[in-house]
Amino acid sequence: MAEHVVLFAGPMGSGKTTAIRSLSEIEVVSTEAANTDRATADKETTTVALDYGEITIDDVTKVRLYGVPGQKRFDFMWSILAGRARGLLLLINNDAPESIALLLQYLADFHELHARGAVVIGVTKSDVRESPTVADYSAALTAKFPEQLIPVFTVDPRNAEEMRTLLLTLVASVEMRELLAPAPEKI
Amino acid sequence: MNLLPGPAAPATLPSHLNPAHIDAGNRTLAEMQELATSLTFAAMLTDDGFEIVHLNGATTDGGRFASMSSSVQALSDAVAHELKIGTNEYVIIASELGHVIQLRVQGHPIVLAALFDTHETLGKGLSIARIAARRMAQLMA
Repeated sequence: MAEHVVLFAGPMGSGKTTAIRSLSEIEVVSTEAANTDRATADKETTTVALDYGEITIDDVTKVRLYGVPGQKRFDFMWSILAGRARGLLLLINNDAPESIALLLQYLADFHELHARGAVVIGVTKSDVRESPTVADYSAALTAKFPEQLIPVFTVDPRNAEEMRTLLLTLVASVEMRELLAPAPEKI
Repeated sequence: MNLLPGPAAPATLPSHLNPAHIDAGNRTLAEMQELATSLTFAAMLTDDGFEIVHLNGATTDGGRFASMSSSVQALSDAVAHELKIGTNEYVIIASELGHVIQLRVQGHPIVLAALFDTHETLGKGLSIARIAARRMAQLMA
């Protein structure tokens, strides 16, 4: 059985834990603590180490789903978990201030994974705030990375089918990159 | 130890912004230092990784330490939960040049994390950390 490791990243409150819970076939391992930073995200708890879930696709591919804390002060967890991932599923909540700049900042923070792996963007909470649109995000990504096509979707992290579409897109991109990667030189 | 209670704590303020909790933390860590000269760094932090107070922070990034301690605490809790071995009581990281001991302040979403040099035995370090955690809870009551 093939295995992939993908990372769910994005700002606090973008829906990473919810997305992994929507997708996972196993009971999700969560590390949530009472949230004292209500100014950043008005929610009861926040992830302080990782979330972990698993899903099997088409009976032949297992995907290990790792979620990282959203806050920058936990960026040591970003480095630890990004090292083992091949794909990045970046969730951006549309109601965040300067959400496009925030998206680009997170891509910069995960540039090493972005450079060697695949990336898919999920825009959440677009029902809370309508703009920017998917086209706005795509335009910003094309301007920043003109040589790349980074898929952008609107998504509800509570909706398993929508999350599955994102995940399948990411897994297909990961597999495509692996197929296109140059073969190692023979010694 | 000085058993006089500190100022009353408004319940709604997060501990890292709460003057009463900060005062209680400072008093607890100062008393802890009196019990262990091998204590090279200590911090009280919220469950979600904000530093409330620290002691001896000249060479350690207190904010970073608080975030990492929060993650370690949560991961340890998750392991105990996953293995169904009851409540995680404390965490020990024993290294060549020192050891970190951390445990919760009972009844509060607060963690005490302490770094001892190797002049302290793990047992004594743990005993001192437990006394300090109880003291913090007492001051916050």
